[in-house]
Amino acid sequence: MLVLVFFTVRLTGDPVGLMVARNATPEQREAFRVAHGFDRPLAEQFVGYLGDALRGDLGRSLRLHLPNMELIMQRLPATMELALAALLLSLAIAVPLGIISGVFPGSPLDLLARLIGLAGQTIPSFWLAMILILVFAVNLRLFPTFGRDSLQHLVLPAVALSVASMGQMVRLLRSAVLEITREDYIRTARAKGVSEIVITLRHVTPNALIPLVSVVGVNFTYMLGGSVYIETIFAWPGLGTLLNDAFNDSDFPLVQAITIFIAAFAISLNLLTDIAYDLIDPRARQR
Amino acid sequence: MRFIRYFLPTLVILLVSAGTIHAQPSGELVIALPNDPTAMYIGNASDVTAISATRPLYDGLVRYGADGSIQPGLAQSWEISEDGRTYTFHLREGVKFHNGEDFNAHAVSTIWEYGMTPTNQWLSYYDSVASADDIVVVDDYTVEVTTSEPDAFFLSEVANGWFALPPAYLAEVGLEAFEAAPVGTGPFMLENWAPGYRIELRAFPEYWNPEQPKVERLTFRIISDATTRMAAIQTGEVDIVTRLNTDDVVLLETNPDVNIVTYPNDRVYYVAFKNVGNGAGTALENKLVRQAMNLAVDREGIVAALFSGHGQTISGFVIPSNLGYDPSLQPYAHDPQQAMELLTEAGYPDGFEIGMGCPTDAYTNINEVCLSVQRDLGNIGIDVDLEFKSTNAYWSEAHYAATGPMYVDSWSSPNGEAFWRLEGSLTPDYYYSTWTDPAIVDSLGQIAVAVDRDSRAALYGELSHYLYDNPPYIYLYVLNLFEATTNRVTGYQPLPNETFYTNDVGVDG
Repeated sequence: MLVLVFFTVRLTGDPVGLMVARNATPEQREAFRVAHGFDRPLAEQFVGYLGDALRGDLGRSLRLHLPNMELIMQRLPATMELALAALLLSLAIAVPLGIISGVFPGSPLDLLARLIGLAGQTIPSFWLAMILILVFAVNLRLFPTFGRDSLQHLVLPAVALSVASMGQMVRLLRSAVLEITREDYIRTARAKGVSEIVITLRHVTPNALIPLVSVVGVNFTYMLGGSVYIETIFAWPGLGTLLNDAFNDSDFPLVQAITIFIAAFAISLNLLTDIAYDLIDPRARQR
Repeated sequence: MRFIRYFLPTLVILLVSAGTIHAQPSGELVIALPNDPTAMYIGNASDVTAISATRPLYDGLVRYGADGSIQPGLAQSWEISEDGRTYTFHLREGVKFHNGEDFNAHAVSTIWEYGMTPTNQWLSYYDSVASADDIVVVDDYTVEVTTSEPDAFFLSEVANGWFALPPAYLAEVGLEAFEAAPVGTGPFMLENWAPGYRIELRAFPEYWNPEQPKVERLTFRIISDATTRMAAIQTGEVDIVTRLNTDDVVLLETNPDVNIVTYPNDRVYYVAFKNVGNGAGTALENKLVRQAMNLAVDREGIVAALFSGHGQTISGFVIPSNLGYDPSLQPYAHDPQQAMELLTEAGYPDGFEIGMGCPTDAYTNINEVCLSVQRDLGNIGIDVDLEFKSTNAYWSEAHYAATGPMYVDSWSSPNGEAFWRLEGSLTPDYYYSTWTDPAIVDSLGQIAVAVDRDSRAALYGELSHYLYDNPPYIYLYVLNLFEATTNRVTGYQPLPNETFYTNDVGVDG
């Protein structure tokens, strides 16, 4: 990961051309290179960078002249807020809808669930974001267009970011429920005369939610890292816009720092998901 | 009765004085910026967005007028010595920095001393500051600045980069802390800065010009997505949006709450030829070939089709708004027949193959412009191999050496004179310069020391004729720029260099 990030950002351009005035003399360019270590061989730069990264030092931004970690910490709350809101929204809609559609296949609600499942997985989120702005901000004036000044500002970006995950969750739950309702123990419960509501709530739902745990973890990581478009469109001051700006300005140290931070975050989150999975599902422990 | 006796006169006095004192700044002006300013310390502001966003905090010794002329700023007046090397600036008295420090001659020498510090040499304004050789504080409100040789553009450099810095505060907190909490003498003070998100400024109550600023609060919002900026001006969430394209204008023109501001941009678009590096020894060294290519390109067609006519074709790098423009030079006509005759005369009756770089999406419709040029040159038998490259990579030193030997580019010039783009693109010292011609270098050398404006104008005219007959470029066009404001905005006028002052911008209601 470290290697990939280090070398790919360097393929994208030369920071000197962007940071130094266009009429700068060769001496000024060189002074900038020396000051930021860009004059050293790539291998040497990489070793230095690796050493710093392992010590937890993610370097300083070329453009903003601040420690990268400080910048990331400034922006992290906004990204977490948006990702959490999108995740909660996905769950709030996907869980009941997925279960109902699994329990009543072919019903109008099932049709809606399948539609959301399909739409969520096929509509590009950046396109949806623009449509949401046009309809709800410009035409209906119900929500603000951009920014993060109040709870209202959270609504449109959270909806745009949640739809893909919502679609996936609905499909997953629906198929899990359909599968579980054909299991022997459900038939046994029915044979014992247990009511359908109790079967659904006590036997079907908890079992159907187990595979959702790992999807929640993965989707949350996706929302943290993949919200670059959504954050940029809604001018949401999170890690996504920071990454977008850093990339446009060839601010290598900052691009590296953000990607590594998100990667480390994703790895930790996956670990937590696995532990949670073990706690929830006894079968996972026995394997 | 006692109430009336005391209250009425007080009321009358208050009402009368309200009519005579200057209007207090009021309201909030919100401006959308397309990208995050590189810094709030103006010395590190390296793009037009950063310059416009930081400018409200600072005052320069002199400033640009709308026509590019030099106007007084913190220097009320100045004299130039007979040898053209010494400038005596008489400073405005009673000016305060936002932290209460007094502005005086020492603050001016601080700009120079700070800017000349070797570790600061990549500062955007190093050139401006380094253009002075020495600075002498004559008294509290007089400074003498000396240049090593007569410099035609010294006052422009002063307007570009000599912004007053508070000596005591800078010495106390150091540069790093200053960058986070900058202090100037400008009409606005920095109140809150959330990088990448918003910049909040408040009117400086002790600003030396009682007529300015007009608004109490000035807020910049960073919105990098063009669609979102368009939506935000329509909903009134922002008052000013910059850098609209012609499609946006068509959409906004029908909106009664929005005004479109149009102005010609001092940025020329061109196809550069190389006669150094991989351009040496190619057909491009033949003047007739370069003239033929200028005749082959349908620049009128490009402006009409790709920019809905919102631009002008150009005859050279000195454009109508520049000093020394010669209207007798008309843009090359679109004449493929004559172009082919010239090619034959030059010894290329069957044309030739050549590479051309194009900065993908760097400017409005630039990809289509590159394709149009390729098509037009193809029509006279020149087979252009187009290489598209993303902008970050395009302007790197390595790419300038490798691309082409033809490439598409653009260059602005800050103050009504074409010197900077001419110097930057045609002087061998700069890596952006890929065309070397001793006659041009000599001519630019003469312009650089011509302190007198009229003699400079004459030199520009001569050079324009030379560059017309010996074109180092295919001259393409300049574009009109479009910005939009909500109806409540007053006094907003951007400069041709794409920056703006906010001193006189107000909001109604």
